[in-house]
Amino acid sequence: MNNILKVENLRKSYGDFSLSDVTFSLPEGCITGFIGINGAGKTTTLRTLLGLAKKASGHIELFGLDMEKNEKQIKNRIGVVLDDGCFYDELSLAEMKSVISAAYTSWSEQDYRRYMDMFSLDPKQKINTLSKGMKMKYALVLALSHNAELLIMDEPTSGLDPLIRSQLLKVLTDYMENGGKGVFFSTHITSDLDKIADMLIMINNGRIIFQEEKDFLLDTYRIVKGDVKALTDDVRKHFLSITETAFGFTGITKQVSEIQSFFPDAIVERPTIEDIMLANIGGYKK
Amino acid sequence: MMLFNLIKKDILIVKKYVLIMLVAAVLIPPFMLWRAPEYTGVLGFMLSVIFCVFMLLQYVSLKEYQFPKAATLLCATPFSRNMIVLSKYIFCIANFVACCIIYAIETLVIPGLGTVDMTLFLLMFLVTSIFIGVYLPVQYKLGYEKTKFAFVVVIMASPFILPQLMKMENVNLDFLSMFSPLLVCGSVLLFSCIVLIVSVILSMKFYGETDLA
Repeated sequence: MNNILKVENLRKSYGDFSLSDVTFSLPEGCITGFIGINGAGKTTTLRTLLGLAKKASGHIELFGLDMEKNEKQIKNRIGVVLDDGCFYDELSLAEMKSVISAAYTSWSEQDYRRYMDMFSLDPKQKINTLSKGMKMKYALVLALSHNAELLIMDEPTSGLDPLIRSQLLKVLTDYMENGGKGVFFSTHITSDLDKIADMLIMINNGRIIFQEEKDFLLDTYRIVKGDVKALTDDVRKHFLSITETAFGFTGITKQVSEIQSFFPDAIVERPTIEDIMLANIGGYKK
Repeated sequence: MMLFNLIKKDILIVKKYVLIMLVAAVLIPPFMLWRAPEYTGVLGFMLSVIFCVFMLLQYVSLKEYQFPKAATLLCATPFSRNMIVLSKYIFCIANFVACCIIYAIETLVIPGLGTVDMTLFLLMFLVTSIFIGVYLPVQYKLGYEKTKFAFVVVIMASPFILPQLMKMENVNLDFLSMFSPLLVCGSVLLFSCIVLIVSVILSMKFYGETDLA
């Protein structure tokens, strides 16, 4: 599979926070979730790779082209949804569209009208009268109306109600089915990724923790529940994280067969992405 | 075409004020003729330029300050930062040209206003170029709030500075009459363009280094 986005040794500092040698790639044909807690570096990474913040060092390649040398050409081929819409709120939807559409060589009025109808958006309406969910839908309309090959979105589902979130996720899966080459979106709402992501990249404290296929991750990690008495130091080292209560422990491990040899009666469950994320950042006590 | 759309964007975000400023540009010269005929001409044109160019630029900057993330979205599209910077300068020059056209038409329609004076237009273009030539790079470097504060300080200091400047009677510009008017006008135009070009380069450099909101 070809990589449509390749980031190598990306560095960027903001006061006390810094991205440290961020390296990852996006295979073509995948919906990739970029996960991490608030302040982990998701937005900084996305903004730096889009050239909205200046990188200290590193190499960014999209569609096999160097971002620094082919910025205009690359941006013409990607659709971007930033958190909170990012519009001139006093303009109408039609006015804002007239500004944005002029930037793209392959803007499709037909697609624009189709998505506006699909989301029941009125072009005459002022942006400042839209709810957060409607603004996000409008941002998605603009990102999808110029035959973008890759969608890059920063926290698109944050603060939205479950119905609008599910509509957005449906649009993303339809986009991929209709020839989109990839979707890369950051989120801390991991339940959205459970539904649609193929690949997951996790960042914490400005460092990439892992990049794996979602199904592989979910097959590799296991939640184990058992009696605290059996938790010896030898056993503990097989867990990524453990939470202990008076009634027992809950731990996350990647070495389920070893654990089962210690705890034949232990309850083993499949984790969610959130469990895996928390285990990797120490959200569970050890 | 992309540049035209960025200028259109500036007009759209201040559309409420564009009409008011245009009306002001139309009404100020005849109003000056009616209320203060001794200042008709230079002062009337100067005031209409101040209203149309400087006030509109202020409103555009205010809107960009109120919606900082909108510029971030524009930069995430194929619009380049350099193009966004350039559009601000062209927006100001277009407003200046509109003022010149309005004033020129008025001199034809209203006899008391005198005749179209190219020297007046060129001198005002120089003043406009110096103002936006300083203002825009400072704003791209320091941001809207700090720049506004700096210019308020300058405006507040002007009652003290202007009388001192008026006292400089020994500044003699008579030597300019030694040269042909065409050469003088050409030099003023050239100098204005140089100021603008240097300013555009500085603004592009400052905006290019900015981490967007």
